[in-house]
Amino acid sequence: MGFALSAPALSTVRSGPLARPLPLIYAGLVVGLVIAVLASLTLGYKIYSLEQVWQALFAFDGSETAVVIANLRLPRAVIAPLVGAGLGIAGVLVQTLSRNRIASPDTLGLNAGASVAVVMASAVFGVGSLLGLSLAAAAGALATSMLVFLLAATAGGLSPIRIVLIGVTVAGLGNSIVQIILTTNEAQLQQLLFWLSGAFVDRPMALVQSGAPIILVGALIAIALARTLDALQADDSTATGLGVPLVLVRGASFLSVSLLTGAAVSMAGPVGFVGLVVPHAARWLVGLRHKLLIPAAALIGAVYATTADIAARFVIYPVEAPVGAITAVVGAMVLLILLKRRAA
Amino acid sequence: MTDSENRIEVQSLSLSYGNTAVLKSLSLPIARGKITVLAGPNGCGKSTLLRAIRRLHKPESGRILLEELDIAKFNDRALARQIGLLAQSPSAPEDMTVEELVRLGRYPHQSMLQPWSQNDSTALEAAMEGTGVAHLRSRRLGSLSGGQLQRVWIAMVLAQETDVVCLDEPVNHLDMAHQLDCLDLVRRLNVDYGRTIVLVLHDLNLAARYADRLVFLNDGVIAASGTPEELMTEAMIASVFGVQSMVITDPVHGRPLCIPLRTGPAHNKGDADAARS
Repeated sequence: MGFALSAPALSTVRSGPLARPLPLIYAGLVVGLVIAVLASLTLGYKIYSLEQVWQALFAFDGSETAVVIANLRLPRAVIAPLVGAGLGIAGVLVQTLSRNRIASPDTLGLNAGASVAVVMASAVFGVGSLLGLSLAAAAGALATSMLVFLLAATAGGLSPIRIVLIGVTVAGLGNSIVQIILTTNEAQLQQLLFWLSGAFVDRPMALVQSGAPIILVGALIAIALARTLDALQADDSTATGLGVPLVLVRGASFLSVSLLTGAAVSMAGPVGFVGLVVPHAARWLVGLRHKLLIPAAALIGAVYATTADIAARFVIYPVEAPVGAITAVVGAMVLLILLKRRAA
Repeated sequence: MTDSENRIEVQSLSLSYGNTAVLKSLSLPIARGKITVLAGPNGCGKSTLLRAIRRLHKPESGRILLEELDIAKFNDRALARQIGLLAQSPSAPEDMTVEELVRLGRYPHQSMLQPWSQNDSTALEAAMEGTGVAHLRSRRLGSLSGGQLQRVWIAMVLAQETDVVCLDEPVNHLDMAHQLDCLDLVRRLNVDYGRTIVLVLHDLNLAARYADRLVFLNDGVIAASGTPEELMTEAMIASVFGVQSMVITDPVHGRPLCIPLRTGPAHNKGDADAARS
């Protein structure tokens, strides 16, 4: 064979992901998720025992403890993993779609679009209810993804660089609009600011009923696209040569991303950095095949968001911190480490 | 000429980028089981022709037949099972492993109802063995040398198991040893695997050395086509490339070898015109 392994190159490269025991990885993630959800039910301003949690959920007796667990703890223990899973998958899709490892649903302007819709709904139409704002958020994310998709599709055939440039432009525009409306709308500033930083606290279970099925649909579309997304990681010419219908696949991926992000943002507001960081962790664990990557990203995202939500209860105890701030701080650090490693 | 001699038949193909006509009613048969090399000066349309054959560009007029069937009528995956492509400067994520990349070659053979099968595994292993990259399977692409990387890309195209393989300047950016190594591998695709090869090459002497049939393009039309011996004449090279040269016979391989002397038109305008027609 004409090609010998060069020793220096070998020593600087980690072994590939194929050697890792996949079933063990998924089992570990599932166990981690169960622990995180249980911790989310028990830990907080007050710490409950697992028995109290069990009683509140399966033998509700109307006690104060049971009410707190069932009405306050349970919704966030359900919403946090759902949102994390949705954003994790959306992040994988956006990064593959844009061939850009530091892209995320934020890069496509979806969170900014949701924020604009929420702030407008509040300031212009006087919407005050959480459910109303959630619907506005989902509508804003969907409308923005359609706008970005159409702008990217009109010229340039949805090239990755165009998708990112248009997404970043729309995000910048959206964020400016939010700033402008906020400065002229001091009355509701407090509530809006809390919403804009993302949180799992005080979210009614009703949001899950609308959000969960949408996340499920988005995830199923992503899974169905898995093999094709693998091929889309190569350049456009190669992907076409392999028989990938580029525009169709990009359209379907956009749809999935907007469903996942729209549902997530409707449940928890714009929780940043989850979609950016989770795909990196997932790739590191299971490699680049989407069939493995998407479930891993869903699980890691769920664990990450749930853990961040628990952390949010303690960092400025007894006050709740916005979970978006936690995910952003942790995410920014992870990103810096990744960039440093790549530069090295 | 019977149909069975030609795997592909390009018929009166015209193609433009915006207002610039790149291919002008060009016709070309591609012989079955041969290595056809497309060559010509920069901007002559050779890459565009190759990409049109793989349906990466839509013709303005004319058509391309694959065994008498218009390629425009194939669905994406069906065509990808017939014609493979190694694109010019292909790219994939640096942290993708060799095996993950070669696997992509199996994409057109799978579907929702037809997941990864034994056939796919066999083809994957055979492609990695055949190109000598099996021992690199868990390596990340970013850790490979240019020559190794090109082998891995060829392995991907081989795993695709297409009868026709198009390669767009596969030896660009490779050093001399790896150029030969890569083209020897391409020749093996032809000889050992019986693939019909369409190759765009810049280097005339490499083209003459590896081509069964050589096609010179100039300004969007076929300037000439034939065996390397027929095409590699001093008059032809002056006319197509605008270079005065001396053509000798390579004493080792017996193929024509072009020694470029200086740029400029042919000494004898009449000779060049005769060669062109």
